Amino acid sequence: MLRQSSELLAYTADALPSYHQQPSLAVFPGTRDETIAVVRELARTKTPFVPRGAGTGLSGGALADGVVLIGLNRLNRVLSIDVANRLAVVEPGVVNVALTRAVTAHGLHYAPDPSSQAACTIGGNVAENAGGPHCLKYGVTTNHIVALTVLLPDGEVVKLGDASGEREGYDLVGAFVGSEGCFGIALEITVRLSPNPEVIRTLLADFMTVDAAARAVSDIVATGIVPAALEMIDQGTIRAVESSIYAAGYPTDAAAALLIELDGALAGVEHDVATVDALCKRSGARTVRVARDETERTKLWQGRKKAFGAMGRVSSHLVVQDAVVPRTKLPEVLASIQQIGERHRVRVCNVFHAGDGNLHPNVPYNGADADETARVHEAMGEIMRACIAAGGTISGEHGVGFDKMPYMALIFSPDSLATMCSVREVFDPDRRSNPGKVVPVHACREWHGTPAVRRPEGT
Amino acid sequence: MTAAAVASTEAIRERVLDARSRRTALRIAGRGGWLDAGRPVVATEVLSARELAGITQYVPGDLTLTARAATTLDEIRQATAAHGQWLALDPFGSGDGTIGATLATASAGPLATFFGGPRDLALGVEFVTGDGVLARGGGRVVKNVAGFDLTRLMTGSWGTLAVITEVTLRLHARPEGDETFAIGLDDAASDMDKLSALLAQLPSMPFACEVVNDTLAAKLGGSGAAAIVRIGGNAESVRAQRLSFARFGELADVEPSVWTELRGCEPAGAMVFRLSGPRAEIGQVWRDALEIAAACPGTLLHARPARAMARCIVPAGGAATAALRDAFVRAPAGRRIGERLPADLWSVCSPSPAADRISRGIKARFDPAGILNPGIFGELS
Repeated sequence: MLRQSSELLAYTADALPSYHQQPSLAVFPGTRDETIAVVRELARTKTPFVPRGAGTGLSGGALADGVVLIGLNRLNRVLSIDVANRLAVVEPGVVNVALTRAVTAHGLHYAPDPSSQAACTIGGNVAENAGGPHCLKYGVTTNHIVALTVLLPDGEVVKLGDASGEREGYDLVGAFVGSEGCFGIALEITVRLSPNPEVIRTLLADFMTVDAAARAVSDIVATGIVPAALEMIDQGTIRAVESSIYAAGYPTDAAAALLIELDGALAGVEHDVATVDALCKRSGARTVRVARDETERTKLWQGRKKAFGAMGRVSSHLVVQDAVVPRTKLPEVLASIQQIGERHRVRVCNVFHAGDGNLHPNVPYNGADADETARVHEAMGEIMRACIAAGGTISGEHGVGFDKMPYMALIFSPDSLATMCSVREVFDPDRRSNPGKVVPVHACREWHGTPAVRRPEGT
Repeated sequence: MTAAAVASTEAIRERVLDARSRRTALRIAGRGGWLDAGRPVVATEVLSARELAGITQYVPGDLTLTARAATTLDEIRQATAAHGQWLALDPFGSGDGTIGATLATASAGPLATFFGGPRDLALGVEFVTGDGVLARGGGRVVKNVAGFDLTRLMTGSWGTLAVITEVTLRLHARPEGDETFAIGLDDAASDMDKLSALLAQLPSMPFACEVVNDTLAAKLGGSGAAAIVRIGGNAESVRAQRLSFARFGELADVEPSVWTELRGCEPAGAMVFRLSGPRAEIGQVWRDALEIAAACPGTLLHARPARAMARCIVPAGGAATAALRDAFVRAPAGRRIGERLPADLWSVCSPSPAADRISRGIKARFDPAGILNPGIFGELS
């Protein structure tokens, strides 16, 4: 348990550097029973709390403002691996990539692969309904969670879903996944494991205009070929990556590059590679390069997955944005983003899951410069509004957390928000689990008389 | 029961509010094709969304489609086929079924082998709760984590929480090749284990793979138990997939219309339910289904090995009902889901799936007056 201000410093932010909030104390239970005991004590004293995994979230979702932070990263056991049924049961603190490593010998993997997969936890992935590059073909977290043992905020333990066959009734697993810590803590998570593809081919196509790259994306999607991943990396990002230790050999004079992965059965993939190659060239690709071996493939992906890290070299602060637009709107929205950046004199770098229309406009900036910071936030708001106007949404995989709350009312009616609140109330009637996140409190009509929750002493 | 179709979301809201004020229970219907499915509903009025139909947005390049609840699966099929696309959902029944009912009942057919079910294909939903609140979850894009997931909560809720008014779905582009063939099974019981093992080793899953017993095979124009397989992909992939299955037995090409016939194979009034288990136990699930078929002559069986599910269609009749009751009482209910049964068999088929604290809490929030499809989840029994 950590109580001192200095000790708590590490827990005042997640991976989004814009916000800092200090928890009143942080507790790190080492076992399932300790976790239950902690939550029951918090229930008894009506104390709010924030569950936290590895703190790699990008929405401020794990910020704890004067409340208790429960770190779940010590609950890191893979409880069982059932190869025949392709299932694994894990504790919430198991690191995403550790699960894949644990099942590699069986020719299996855990499909959702957020860029932070070397650090982020499965519990955090469940809370955020995390995605990743390979979700284009294989689906996001919710498509891979079969059952959950959940510790409700009042201390009761319930089982949701069932791994032993079809289930009828309300899809409570579906409701819990993506609830951003507001519905309780997942103590045990039963995940579906996926067989490794027989073959993987990774291509890098580079373009002299962003528009041409965006059109190539539409053309590929329209063929019926579903790439395992279809990522776009623009010039700003390419240059940041190429000047970092993650240099992947992306051409620095290209306006944009597409990182395309095709996988599956050996028979058929080469044909798809040829089709995608031809489509890219038809859309104006200057070169299309196919990774020759695993080393080259890993290098190409390293540049993509570490792009956020590489931008750390460019400036002290970075806004990592997350929005989704219909795929046909990509060229138009990318052009708008460019214009918005120019108008506010901020540098927007795009690196994103183009195949899903899931944008990640990133803005490196100097947080010590108040004027620049203000311009960055102004531009971000405008970018979000442009995505919404194009028929999109405010988050594809990072979650709403604290950061995106102001945008919720732009895409959901007051009645829709109130309906979401009512689901939360079933799981957490006192609204003590991750308070003040996801749905703005004022949207929850019945919440105006907020139940009295006690802050821990000394806060 | 009285029925009046409503043509707008606002009219649905008014009907629900009116029913709530009169404390009158409503049976929620799309086109009314599946009203005999699910546990018996105790309602005096039908709220028919039949007129609330039509595709409201379809941009082929986005591979998404938004349709009002009573749009038929056939209409969606026709609209998307014109652009070389499809909604990969083929629930049992006819193409006259509605997308709203498909989502509300989470009904999936053979294509679930590859494409998953409604929970995997639904992107957004608009609905009117039992309190008359018009709300929306999800959106019109293929990836979305904004807000709590109301879309999955509505999927499979059988109209007990809200009346679904509009649905947005993920589409797929049609592949270059799409072929269907049958493989005869020598020994229906033991061949299932072998087939399941083959599927687990395949480098790519078929679109569909359904095993039918001899009675159903005969109805579909074949002879003897068989696996009916549908594969898709580019020419090279289709060729390789055929070779993989040829290791299992001789492939006999079958007209794709077999899938429509399979979906519509249920005789009027038949009793229908599904058995399921963990993936590796499909052999046992299938043997349990064969046992029921032996006890109830004329039973049609089909199984989906990739999902470890067997569906049993038992012709109606006094002796069959009694035999089925015996079978239900003997076997544990955990893996049994009823679709269509006589009123008195429901309680022995499976317990209420909404009896837990969270499900009851959600029902109370969405439909506090209990006017939407009361009884369909057995909450009154």
